[in-house]
Amino acid sequence: MVANSALAPLVPRGTRPGGRGVHRKNATAYLFLAPFLILFCVFVLAPAVYGLWISLHIWNPLLPNQPFVGLENYTQLFTPGSLTSGDFWESMRATGIFTVASVPFLLVIPLLIAVLLNQKIRGGTVFRAIFFAPYVLGVAVIGVIWRYLLDPQLGVVNHLLGLFGLTSDVPWTVDVPWVWISLVAVTIWWTLGFNTVILLAGLQGINKELYDAASVDGAGAMRKFFSVTLPGLRPVLSFVTTVTILASANMFGQSYLITHGGPGHATRTAIMYIADEGLSQNQMGAASAMSYVLFALLAVVSLVNFRLQRDKSE
Amino acid sequence: MHRKYGRSVLAAALATGIGAALVACGGSSGGGASSGSGAVSGGAYSGPAVTISFWNGWTGGAAPVLVPELIKKFNDSHKNITVKDVPMQWGDISAKMPLAVKAGKGPDVSVAHGDDLATYAAQGLLLKSDGIVKSLGYTASDFPAGVFNAGHYNGSQYAIPWSVTPLGLYVNKSVLKQARLDPAAIPTDKASYLKSLDALKAAGVKGEWVDGYVFTGTFEFESLIWQFGGDLYNKDVSEATFNSGAGVQALTWMTDLVKNGHSPANVAQDGNWNALVAGKTAFNWNGVWQTTNNALPKVEWAAASVPQIGTEKAVWSSSTHWIFMNNKGQDKNKTAAAAAFVKWMNDNSAGWAATGELPADNTVRNAPSLLANYPNLKPFLDELPYAHYETVSPGISAANATITTAVNEAILGKKSPKQALDDAAAKANQLLKQNKSQYGG
Amino acid sequence: MTTNSLSRPTSSSAEPPGSGSRRRPATAMRRRTRPGRIAVYVVLAITALIIVVPLAWIFLTSFKTDFAAINAPGSPWPKPFVFDAYHTLSSGQQPIFRWFLNSLAAASLQTLIILVTASMGAYALARMEFRGKRIVFGVIVATLLVPPVIFLIPNYLIVQNLGWLDTLWAVSVPGAAGAFGIFFLRQFFVGLPTEIEEAARIDGAGDIRIFLQIVLPLSRPAIATLAVLSFLANWNDFLWPVYVLLSPDKLTLQPGLSVLQGAYSTHFGIVMAGAVIASIPVLIIFTLAQRQIVDSVASSGVKG
Repeated sequence: MVANSALAPLVPRGTRPGGRGVHRKNATAYLFLAPFLILFCVFVLAPAVYGLWISLHIWNPLLPNQPFVGLENYTQLFTPGSLTSGDFWESMRATGIFTVASVPFLLVIPLLIAVLLNQKIRGGTVFRAIFFAPYVLGVAVIGVIWRYLLDPQLGVVNHLLGLFGLTSDVPWTVDVPWVWISLVAVTIWWTLGFNTVILLAGLQGINKELYDAASVDGAGAMRKFFSVTLPGLRPVLSFVTTVTILASANMFGQSYLITHGGPGHATRTAIMYIADEGLSQNQMGAASAMSYVLFALLAVVSLVNFRLQRDKSE
Repeated sequence: MHRKYGRSVLAAALATGIGAALVACGGSSGGGASSGSGAVSGGAYSGPAVTISFWNGWTGGAAPVLVPELIKKFNDSHKNITVKDVPMQWGDISAKMPLAVKAGKGPDVSVAHGDDLATYAAQGLLLKSDGIVKSLGYTASDFPAGVFNAGHYNGSQYAIPWSVTPLGLYVNKSVLKQARLDPAAIPTDKASYLKSLDALKAAGVKGEWVDGYVFTGTFEFESLIWQFGGDLYNKDVSEATFNSGAGVQALTWMTDLVKNGHSPANVAQDGNWNALVAGKTAFNWNGVWQTTNNALPKVEWAAASVPQIGTEKAVWSSSTHWIFMNNKGQDKNKTAAAAAFVKWMNDNSAGWAATGELPADNTVRNAPSLLANYPNLKPFLDELPYAHYETVSPGISAANATITTAVNEAILGKKSPKQALDDAAAKANQLLKQNKSQYGG
Repeated sequence: MTTNSLSRPTSSSAEPPGSGSRRRPATAMRRRTRPGRIAVYVVLAITALIIVVPLAWIFLTSFKTDFAAINAPGSPWPKPFVFDAYHTLSSGQQPIFRWFLNSLAAASLQTLIILVTASMGAYALARMEFRGKRIVFGVIVATLLVPPVIFLIPNYLIVQNLGWLDTLWAVSVPGAAGAFGIFFLRQFFVGLPTEIEEAARIDGAGDIRIFLQIVLPLSRPAIATLAVLSFLANWNDFLWPVYVLLSPDKLTLQPGLSVLQGAYSTHFGIVMAGAVIASIPVLIIFTLAQRQIVDSVASSGVKG
């Protein structure tokens, strides 16, 4: 793939090393890439650099000046007692709690349901559609309806608990740790269908004969699950895990609509805080710095995740 | 390889450069916007036909019906002005308006609460309104004390008062009867209030539910701190004083309601109002705007002035003002049309009380016909002589938010009132410092 | 990727009797899993109820008066049964139907942009050699791991400078610039066999012809998947529209519902009616096209 213009005219097309069907054409290639690249440069590359630039200033767009302050926005985040560090790390904690609490459930429950759907049953397509339906409704519909259903006084959840003789004023949307249970449960309700259908497709891609062979060897259902299903599901599971971790780390809507970041700021995720600080409080420099710190931490998590999966498959 | 490397760096630089050019052409310096040389003059509108947009937060009570009616009346009687009514939640307005105005996409005229005025003026978002004030013939004495000056910043007037909305005591009379209390004898001071609460408790009713939200926990807290003789900030708003003894007393009163069984511990947003309507509680401190809530007609209710728990009479009140926006590229004709609209609204403000807000103009408000038509407003009108309005200082909302956090944490039992207030004051002081450095005075 | 296996029994249990050594395990399994099969149905049915019941409850709540919604949370059936909430919503102060159209427009536009730009770019990355290819591809892949929040504030300023605040462009163009689409299609194109293209090339067809008439048609499933994923991603987008859309009639459905909740916080009937109005069109579309939609999403994991 090394561009070496001197050699090109000497070698006939179609027989160059580097794979069949591959032709070297700079102009045409960039023509095909141009529409994407223009968008990409304007809305991905430029902002990435611009954001870094902003983070080196006190940037209030409503004021005439944006003074350069070097790394001050960053050092503030790591200085206990500063204006932003307390709130920032509290929001990171919220993000962490939610991610750790939700991801396992978001993987295990859809997996179990997918296994069930993979059995020989009637109406599997109908079930699949029902489970997927909440996802198409969108986060706002979900947030708004669960805010009502979980209302400590008016909500039907507490009413039902009362009917069953349990304590009927659980503060689902008002106090810890209930708010976390609410947020995780609602997220599962909302997105389990999405993960389920992907995992189901993965299950269907596993060779049936492997199961038969395991049966002949006398393996029971449990054994088959661990020695045939899981290994066969590895690439799909890894994809779903990555997507789920990233989605949880970027949670915004549920917290915004159901708990409003409360109590206090306990469920205010990093994204919520950054967006509020940058676009409502107009402290764009500080907010940009925070987003880069979050990026760095997520990058570390991704690397660890990637390594773990690499090691598993080796 | 070296040449290839150079090429790609060049390409990347080019890409970033295009992006940067797009970024720069809007002018991040946004310079000179705060020079707010634009001003609004009064008088009838005689320019070309325009459509002006009007952002307001009047989405509750009877307003969603009344406001469009008023605007339609205006549009019908003014051939060359069309006002576009753009209602949204108050919180959304204060979050979105600044950047919208800076981008030239804000409204031509809007209404804002007293605590936003100095911030908007300092951010260069407002046009001076001395001219229209003069043509309306208004002076500070035409309004309750302090309200007019909320719109005063840096030597110029930027806003025209429109309405005031104090807190009051809403009572569910059937619940009082349940506890064998006289529904006509609504408590007015600490002793009688506690007596009623105890009687309610004996009848198994939690008499006043407190919540840890802006609506209305923070409003109740602020009423109480003033009643105990304290204040939220010092005179030049350089320091938070809500963690003073008076503040601790005020917040402790509220947490004691939970401690002594008069309130559940985890009341949700609007939970106390819903409880009042559902007959689960007897008292709720809420704003005058709730008098038009359409769940009330089914409830046997009454409103009263808030009881005096502390050593003096005081109550929280908000104030709403007209403001003219200094959009990027603001069309002078539109602003003139907006001025005509505001004048008309002021001239036709007699019916505004139907929305549950009290007109700020003393003459309109004190007219006997107002009380005759809206008798529910009497207890709120009576409170005005001792009502406290918002603190005026650029960027104050961020500091005010720390008060809500403290109230929330104390009521949920996460921190003691003193601890919660001290922590909030420390944060508020940092924010006040940031405000001073970013906005000056 | 197909759903056939769900409705048709697969190999072992469909084996006709008398097919040799396979027979015993098959019937043994069938006997063993019958009670197991019932358990499966029960669990699935319970899960389905957990999904459906809340939605039905909300639907019914939208017909309650405010007073009833507050006072009788436990009874599902509205007494009295009124359309007040819907009347209030249709009065125009909160234009729900408009929001729906805005969401439709934004999601469609963004999907279209993604499909066009990503397919063209992916073709170049998969089938062409050119100077700087490694760098371009590397940068694209690298940005896949960057969290979207990095772009939030700078893109806000860029969009503001372009004059796109509060317009359809703001909620459909920036989101189309992401690397996922081009990466996804590139992976797919690379996996396509090249014989047909080679043959066409020998016949004298140029890149554009080959792209349009051979590669794209062969890629229908992948393109459908990308279309569905892109559409859903834009439809569900909440954070970005909340900040870049300002006027009530420019909002898309997600921030619009949030505004509705704020405006009518004690009038739950109205908020639920809003949720219902927001859901019905989507659910109708989903019911009609669910097989395609779900299949597309399912295959994204298998291919990706």
